[in-house]
Amino acid sequence: MSAFTTECYQNAYLPLGASEVNAIITVTSDGVAGQAEQPEAAEIVIIDTSGSMGTPSRKIKAARQATEVAIDCIRDGVAFGVIAGTEVARAVYPTDGTLAIASPQTRLGATRALNRLEAGGGTAIGSWLALAGKLFATVSGRSCHAILLTDGENQHETDEDLDRVLADLEGRFQCDCRGVGTDWKVSELRRIASALLGSVDIIAEPTAMADDFQALMEAAMGKATGNVSLRVWTPQGASVAFVRQVAPTIEELTGRGVQVNPLTADYPTATWGRESRDYHVCINVAPREIGDEMLAARVSLVEGEEPRAQALIKATWTDDRQLSTRINREVAHYTGQAELAECIQQGLEARKDGDLGTATFKLGRAVQLATESGNDGTMKLLQGVVQVDDAATGTVRLKHDIAALDEMSLDTRSTSTVRVGPGAT
Amino acid sequence: MSTEDLDVTTQGDLSCPSCGAPRQPGDRFCERCGARLDEPQPTDGDLRVELDLGNAAAVSDQGLVHHRNEDSFHLEVTDGRDVVVVICDGISSASAGNVAARDAAKAAGTVLSRAIADPDSDPRDAIVEGIKAAVEAVIQVEWTTRVKRVDPSCTLVSALCRNGGITVGWVGDSRAYWFDADDASQLTIDDSFAEEGIAKGLLTPEQAAKSPFLHSITHWVGPDAPERPPRLVELRPERPGRLVLCTDGLWNYAPSARELGGLIDALPPGAAPAAVARSLADMANDRGGHDNITVAVVDIDPSAA
Repeated sequence: MSAFTTECYQNAYLPLGASEVNAIITVTSDGVAGQAEQPEAAEIVIIDTSGSMGTPSRKIKAARQATEVAIDCIRDGVAFGVIAGTEVARAVYPTDGTLAIASPQTRLGATRALNRLEAGGGTAIGSWLALAGKLFATVSGRSCHAILLTDGENQHETDEDLDRVLADLEGRFQCDCRGVGTDWKVSELRRIASALLGSVDIIAEPTAMADDFQALMEAAMGKATGNVSLRVWTPQGASVAFVRQVAPTIEELTGRGVQVNPLTADYPTATWGRESRDYHVCINVAPREIGDEMLAARVSLVEGEEPRAQALIKATWTDDRQLSTRINREVAHYTGQAELAECIQQGLEARKDGDLGTATFKLGRAVQLATESGNDGTMKLLQGVVQVDDAATGTVRLKHDIAALDEMSLDTRSTSTVRVGPGAT
Repeated sequence: MSTEDLDVTTQGDLSCPSCGAPRQPGDRFCERCGARLDEPQPTDGDLRVELDLGNAAAVSDQGLVHHRNEDSFHLEVTDGRDVVVVICDGISSASAGNVAARDAAKAAGTVLSRAIADPDSDPRDAIVEGIKAAVEAVIQVEWTTRVKRVDPSCTLVSALCRNGGITVGWVGDSRAYWFDADDASQLTIDDSFAEEGIAKGLLTPEQAAKSPFLHSITHWVGPDAPERPPRLVELRPERPGRLVLCTDGLWNYAPSARELGGLIDALPPGAAPAAVARSLADMANDRGGHDNITVAVVDIDPSAA
């Protein structure tokens, strides 16, 4: 089992009458698992084989190669399978309605099956995911992970169909989503990735697919601990305002809490390798008297029902304004990063709606926030859509011709955050 | 006050002073309302602070005469069993005695709490180091008045209770007592002219009790304290009993171990440390409350060690 450690960053001092307590909890997992303790994994690669994947034909070819590379990364003993998606879902390998157990023979079998894949047909992503869910159910008890690749919009089923499938599959497996090219919809893949606790990213060029799939599969193989939740206890009279993962990407978890008892809820965090994530927890408490100290929340990492580490979020009321007005650096930083992601998404949305004033304002604010926080990755992507006149004040001009790729890259990666750097405040 | 009026709770029936929810010894925060539990809780309009940690409890009371409480204490229970306790009495003829007592108790308490967590630490060393830390802390205390030109200072009595053993160290005239079914004894010998007079055969105990120098102490925690190591006593009780630490605000009204033990024996059997501490502080107030009163009571059960 991995060892988890937590650190809590907050200013526990509140002025009289204040009720909102904010803290950033950093959770680090050493990713060390004894071979015997490693959860048995199951992996499915879902490839879009709709007609558009055949134009140009190198797209489907690259997808086949990338899947082959991913399968090579799967260690012996892991259950795996490949699904081809069109307006229906089809198990490409194995074809007997179960998953194969990885070995040199089965990997070769999968590669042969992949080579016969051709592009043709429509897109119904919900049905692909539903089949993955059915196959994962045949190997219950394993830690299940899928990679979904698509190049287009979900056309052959309604939004409601997809929502129903996602509601049904939540918590059953984790799914990383990748969009290749620029004909897919960012909001759609984000919805899927978010519901299934995975990442979403854009692959601009088919040639980059193999490297990305390899990285995804290697990360999946490195996961040492599954079924981990962030357990938040709050005292009677207090409530959770929000729980949000803020690094490495922003993921809203507030609505995903599962009540354990009247004072405790579990927020899913899926699987952990050797990694570190930050969470922003905001609690509303009933204000107390000057000098009173209370425990506003206890945040613990639980694996199944086993507590692994915990952090205490405290509140102390003071009449010393020097103490109560100091905003914690980490809290301020991630509040900024969340606003940054929101500004980008709202800005791009406004631009699509033709509201250029709002778009300019929001993207300008995003430039300002990215600069302040040293989020160079996002800043670079922002420069693809705006001309920056003055980064410090957020003075920008919208570019006239924005490449679809630049816009989608910015949208997809808007939730990527940076941690507090020495230069950030 | 009669013993029937006492809130005699038994150990294990602890509750949160804020919401009344049940709690476990050693809990730092209430599991229902989140209130801090291991901090002294002010009662009676801030004239008294109480801390009930189950097998150990302390009460510090301003008394009826002094305008502020210059006593201070630090009490900690770890693993629901091991206990660290420090009591300091700020010397009121010096300036900032209350600050000196508070900082000294905190500094010594911090050292002892570190030591109790380390099974290899020597309790005697820890007590001595704790008192050194208290001296260092008091040296930092600033004068609130320079009129008298007396450095801030205080007394200190501390105890570390671990694995059935008790180590007590002290400076000045705050005391420690041990009570069990067969025994009532004073563990400490005051660093005072009176005690030194008795020890040298110059005074009888009766004369000493009436001596105007009864409260003139010969050793204290402060920058101008005599360079001399604190005194230590170790005890390994064979029977369950009670360790009581207190300031002179209490023992003035029951100086001998026999008298003090008699007061405790008058309480219902099985009275929790918190109830014992409260009733002793109340007794001192009933008899005049001429000084600040601080008392800590620790239940010791060697069979549980």
